Amino acid sequence: MAVPNPSGNSAAPVLSKGKASTHRDIVEAELIASVAWLINLRWVAGIGVIVASWAVREVFRLSAPTGVLAAIGTGILSYNLIFFLLEKHYRKILASAASYTRMTMWQTALDWGAMTLLIRYSGGIESPAILFFIFHIIIVSIFFPRKTAYIFSVMAVLLVSGTALLEYFNFLPHIAVDGYLVTSLYRNGWFVTGMLFFFSSTGVISAYLVSTIHERLGRREQEIMELSVSLRRATERLQALNEGARTVSSTLELQQVLDRLVKSTAEVMGVRACSIRLLDASGRMLERMAVYGLSQAYLNKGPVDTETNPLACETLSGKVVNIPDVPESNLLQYPEEARAEGIQSMLSAPLCGKSGTLGIIRAYAIERARFTEEDEIFFTAIAAQGSIAIENALAYQAIAELEAMKSQFIRTVTHELRSPVSVSRSLLRTIEAGYAGGLNTQQSDILSRASRRLEFLQSLIDDLLDMAASKALSKSPKSKEAVDLPAALDEVIKRYQIPALEKEIHLEWRNYAQESWVQILATPDGIDRIFNNLISNAVKYTPNGGTVVVELSRLDSEAQVIVTDTGIGIPEASIHHLFEEFYRAPNAKEFEQEGTGLGLVIVKDLVTHFGGRIVVHSKENEGTRFTVFLPCLE
Amino acid sequence: MSNKHILIIDDDPDQRLTVRLPLEAAGYQVSEAKSSAEGLEAVKKVNPDLIILDVMMDTATAGFQTALALRNPDPASDYKEFKNTPIIMLTAIHTTTPLRFAPDRDYLPVEDFLEKPVDPELLLAKIKEHLG
Repeated sequence: MAVPNPSGNSAAPVLSKGKASTHRDIVEAELIASVAWLINLRWVAGIGVIVASWAVREVFRLSAPTGVLAAIGTGILSYNLIFFLLEKHYRKILASAASYTRMTMWQTALDWGAMTLLIRYSGGIESPAILFFIFHIIIVSIFFPRKTAYIFSVMAVLLVSGTALLEYFNFLPHIAVDGYLVTSLYRNGWFVTGMLFFFSSTGVISAYLVSTIHERLGRREQEIMELSVSLRRATERLQALNEGARTVSSTLELQQVLDRLVKSTAEVMGVRACSIRLLDASGRMLERMAVYGLSQAYLNKGPVDTETNPLACETLSGKVVNIPDVPESNLLQYPEEARAEGIQSMLSAPLCGKSGTLGIIRAYAIERARFTEEDEIFFTAIAAQGSIAIENALAYQAIAELEAMKSQFIRTVTHELRSPVSVSRSLLRTIEAGYAGGLNTQQSDILSRASRRLEFLQSLIDDLLDMAASKALSKSPKSKEAVDLPAALDEVIKRYQIPALEKEIHLEWRNYAQESWVQILATPDGIDRIFNNLISNAVKYTPNGGTVVVELSRLDSEAQVIVTDTGIGIPEASIHHLFEEFYRAPNAKEFEQEGTGLGLVIVKDLVTHFGGRIVVHSKENEGTRFTVFLPCLE
Repeated sequence: MSNKHILIIDDDPDQRLTVRLPLEAAGYQVSEAKSSAEGLEAVKKVNPDLIILDVMMDTATAGFQTALALRNPDPASDYKEFKNTPIIMLTAIHTTTPLRFAPDRDYLPVEDFLEKPVDPELLLAKIKEHLG
């Protein structure tokens, strides 16, 4: 099924957790990537400090404690190496996000220390390196929550201010870069105050601005993330629904449809159980038809009467009923049983077909308030789709029952109607053959007339049965099979060799399709009936000494059978009525008294049922040509 | 040939008559039974040389059940001595019904099938054939 989760109920927490966790997952992934990025940047920073300290002395010829500065650079590179190795290790052991956060904190703390030392040894409040602290604050504001960012910013301000003030009050010796400034400013109160004020405000405002913008972007990102998660969930559900529908509709057997529907619903919704009850013939009682995931004890809880069961009442009024708290609900007819089963929440939806309400589908969960509004909509979709499948299965069941009734009817008619006629014919034949004593000519003539009328009656009954069978055939899902057309034609032609011979009719059989494979998807009886009727008509309505030709050829994907005779033909006015029930052309009636007018109706029904078509060409007194086209199997 | 005994099992008295007349005319001794049960009793009583059996009697398949009872291969069968008595089945079942009949050793262990209405000459010819 769609969700490969046979236990059913564990899919739910996964789905609902997904909503919150996906955003966090992405934030974590970002944090991990940033850690690596920061480490890479720090290589540059460390090397930059070493290069700068060299440049200060060698290029700019300034006097500064370049040894200390280079040592700070080396220090930065050293602790960065430790973080580099640690990060590699974390990556290998798939360390938690918390470990990464801790590592970032340590990195920042050490960076703060390094920055403070750098500022201290490059002129304190006079140092241009002070500006570097600003971008450090920006980075921190991006990576840490607002509060942490503020703490780090304040720490930066305190470290810089502390250094400046300690130097100002001479608690720390000032280390100047000689030749950088014309006059020393670290003891200038206005300068120190101004620098500290602007540094502090820039730092704090940067932290505020970056945090705010970042938070806003983060919120937007989270919204997009949630949207994409819910989109993905919707797609998954649609797919599940689709797949469920396919599975459910892959059979027409009612019980199978219901069994598959409850199972796939429970799985797709990720809940403990699902049940379907259909209304019985009275339309009042709900009968349990299929269930998945409930114990036998719960199933035996008792009958569900739509008039006294409040939940059934409410559901059948046409809406989805969501019970978030089953033990507290007063909608349940069997609350004790539900409690024993551990059912905490429930969804109940009506199954509505085109012909009216079919029943109720319910989903049961062992968590409280398990079903969201989204679930209600999804469940309604499942119910709607399920209703179609159920209705199809019910229709199929009705057809199958009708088919059985029809067969029974045909059997009855066969016995009840055909038997007396056939026995009467046998009785007459016995007399005609002289087994009951001799007959005079008149008596024997009367008996043979009676015999002929009975023979006609029997053929009428047979044709009616044929027609009933072919009509039923076109409506029934009775399976067709591959029928070998040349062999079937052989059989029919053999049957008419003797009758043709008796009338001195030349019956010719031309098979132009001997090299090809001519098989038709049909029923053997049906094919036999089609050509039996056509060839028997041809022989019957052709005067003595005439010709009947049967030709078979294959045209692309079709088989073509032509039955041509040199018979009495069909008057132009009659051709349009030829396939009407009980119709007989006037010249046919004149030529042959007996005939039911049903044979060609049966032929046309059958040909149509096998996906073919029939064409007739005829000229009165010259002959008739019937052409049957039937689609061939490849 | 007149000493040969033929049993007709058919619920329709007219059908029995129409079979009986040509048989008697041909010199056979004829007995009748009007149901499967009566037929099975009669088989034991008259020990026929050949049985003419209708398909649909009290039930739609009574004739088949009678034939199967007579052909039961079980050595303890009540009818073991009639295992080889030839049976000709008469049927009014039309070709359009899904039922198809042909003599079959396992399912339809009979010698022949004739469709009603039965031509007396054909019936006599078949009887002659099966009585050797």
